[in-house]
Order: sequence, then structure tokens, then C-alpha cells
Amino acid sequence: MANLEDGEGKTNAAMMPDPPPFWKSFTPDNLARFDTLKQEFADQHGADIDTIVRIPDISEDLVYLQPPAEPIDSKYRLFDEPQTLAEELQTLEAGGIDRLGPLEETDKDGKHIDRAFELKRLAKSMLLNFLELMGIMSNDPAQGQEKVADLKTLLLNFHHVLNEYRPHQAREQLIQLMQDQLDAKRAETAAIRGVVDKAKRALEGLGSMEAPAPPAPSSGISRYGGSNSADRNSETWPGAKGLVAPPGMVNGTLDARHEGSYWGRENISWACVDGDFA
Amino acid sequence: MGDRLTQLQDAVDQLATQFISCFYYLAHHHDLESFGPADKIPDLKSGQPKEVDSFAPEIFQAGQLELARDLITKEQQIEYLISSLPGLDNSQRDQEQSIRDLEEELKVAEGQRLEAVKEKDEVLARLDQVLRGIRRH
Repeated sequence: MANLEDGEGKTNAAMMPDPPPFWKSFTPDNLARFDTLKQEFADQHGADIDTIVRIPDISEDLVYLQPPAEPIDSKYRLFDEPQTLAEELQTLEAGGIDRLGPLEETDKDGKHIDRAFELKRLAKSMLLNFLELMGIMSNDPAQGQEKVADLKTLLLNFHHVLNEYRPHQAREQLIQLMQDQLDAKRAETAAIRGVVDKAKRALEGLGSMEAPAPPAPSSGISRYGGSNSADRNSETWPGAKGLVAPPGMVNGTLDARHEGSYWGRENISWACVDGDFA
Repeated sequence: MGDRLTQLQDAVDQLATQFISCFYYLAHHHDLESFGPADKIPDLKSGQPKEVDSFAPEIFQAGQLELARDLITKEQQIEYLISSLPGLDNSQRDQEQSIRDLEEELKVAEGQRLEAVKEKDEVLARLDQVLRGIRRH
């Protein structure tokens, strides 16, 4: 866009700035060397490799592979604005504002009722001061400046007290979050237990219905067509030995009519189980 | 919609904005009066922009009333928000204690959950076995 005179082929070259010069340091070779150094450093100090961020005294060509050190005086500039590493709330005094309320208590046991009371007082004062300002302005506009300054102080104080409250609220939210998590976990556990119980009951129910044909007396075998069928039965229900025989099965003899209705019931109960696990 | 504190902060900022708009309304729509015999209301030439756009007294008063009501409503909102700030009754020590307690409870609950999952898997395996048995039939 900028270099139209260079011809169309080159217009793209100027659209993005060049990458920073240190991109050349990130060769596979260097990366591998850095990883080895990191591993060595971790082994030397007996630390986990993931916790290591910086290796001190690294050689010149690898210096860009790790983040720069923290500023020594813990101050730095960002977009030409001074910043500190530890973000702290500026005190009112540091901002050149009169403090209206009492100094915030550093006492850990302090309740926050006082703070709420403080806020309410400030809010009421604001309204009152506005009313006064209106009164003054209607009589002598030249005097209004002072009241405006008062209002400003009130507003700034209000915001300050409010911001002091933020860490407290953050902790409160954390508690809320953890409580929610706990509830969700408990609910999940209960739900799993519920399904497990249901499944167990279903299994037991099945067990009582699908009893195996115990080794059948010879009179019954003839109906099945020989010993093969008895083998098949005992193979099919290995876990259900000794359970109650299905109705209609007397002494291992199953007459054809009963057999049909037995399998019909069987299908229904499996459908129930499938429904539970769907 | 943010958390309570942000709502409160916004409400206070809105109150300040309302102050300004009240001020503007009063300053621009009041009627013109002379306080003493020496005062006089200057006649504006037709092309000149008017400094004060006076409203009829009843309209002006109605506006005043509305603005005042809005101010009071906002003030009540602010006070309500202050009263409903979270954890007014808890001190920092209380909070830290309950965070620790909750951490413990979470660990226990997680253990129970894993146990339940294990049990579920077992039952599932058993059920699977039974199903296989049936299909072979």
C-alpha cells in the first residue's frame, strides 16, 4: 500500500514490519542445545524441568531462548508509562487526595460492615454536597469551585474505598466457586452411585430369571435333543449357577410353551436394562 | 453486568453524570429574574445564540422534579448495592479458613467420585460379561 511506486509485486513487503532480529536464534539446533542445558540445570539442582524458567549465565547465542530477567528494582515501563511488578492500589495520599474515612484497617479480623457504612456515608455526602453546590451556584457562582472540589474528593474517596474492597470480593468469589465445584462433584458422585445401584439391581433381577438349566435328568435331555444342549446351557450361564430357576422350568425340563414365554420376558427385561444405560 | 463492586462503581459514575446533567438543565433552562433595580435583562439581537433557553415555569419545575427523583433513585440503588456487597460479615481470616476447609472437602469429594467411577466400571464390566454370555447363546 505504501510503496506503490515499487511496483505491484512488492507492495506486500511493506505491509508488515520485519520480525524482530532474534527470530534467527530459534534454530532447531539451538532449541535442542537449550533443552539439553535446561535438563542439565534441572538435574544439577534437583528441580523439575517444567518449573525452570531461566538458566543463569547462558551463552550469548542462546540468550533469546529464555525470557529476560525480572527488572532489578521491580519497575519497568510499558508504552512509556511506569509500571511496577507488584500491582498495588495507589493510596489516596499518594494521589494527592484528602482521605475522608479512617485509614483502612490492616487487621485480618476486621469485619467489613464498617466499610459498607463508610460507603453509605460517602454516598449520602455526595448527594448533600450536590444540593449545597446547587444552592451556592444560584447565589454566587464564584464560590462554587470549592464545592466542586469537595464533590471530586468525595467521588475519589468512594472509588478508593470500593477498590480496597476488591481483594475481599475476590476471595468471596473464590469461596463461591469452590462451593459450586463441591456441589457439582457431590451431585455427580450421587448420580453415578444411583446408576450403579440400578445396574446392580438389574443384574440381580436378571440372575433370578436366567437361571441355568442345571445338569438335567435324563428324562429332560431327550426333549432337548441330547446332551449337547445341556452342555450349551451350562456354557451360556456360567455365572448364574445355583440361582433360582425360571418359572416353567421344573427339574431342568422346559416345555416348549413355557420356553417361548420365558424368552419373551427375557427380552423385556433386557430392554429395561438397556433403557437404564442409554 | 459485572460483579457487585463493578455495578456499584458504575452506579456512582452514573450518579456523577446525573449531577452534571442536572447542573446543565438548571443552568440552561432557568428563567430570568432581576435581583435589584440596577439589574436588567439584556435584549438579545435576533442572530445571537441564546445563553439561556428559558422554559415555562411549570415545565421547568416538572423537569426539576424528575431529575431530583432520578437522583434519589440512583442514591437508593447505590445504598442497596452497598448492602448487598458479598461477604460483609466475613473477615479475611474467616475467608481464608473457609477456603482451606473447602479445599479439603473438595479433595474428599474427588476421592469419593473416583471410587464411584471405579465401581461403575466394575458393574459395567460385569454387565458386559453377562451380555456377551447371552449373545453367544
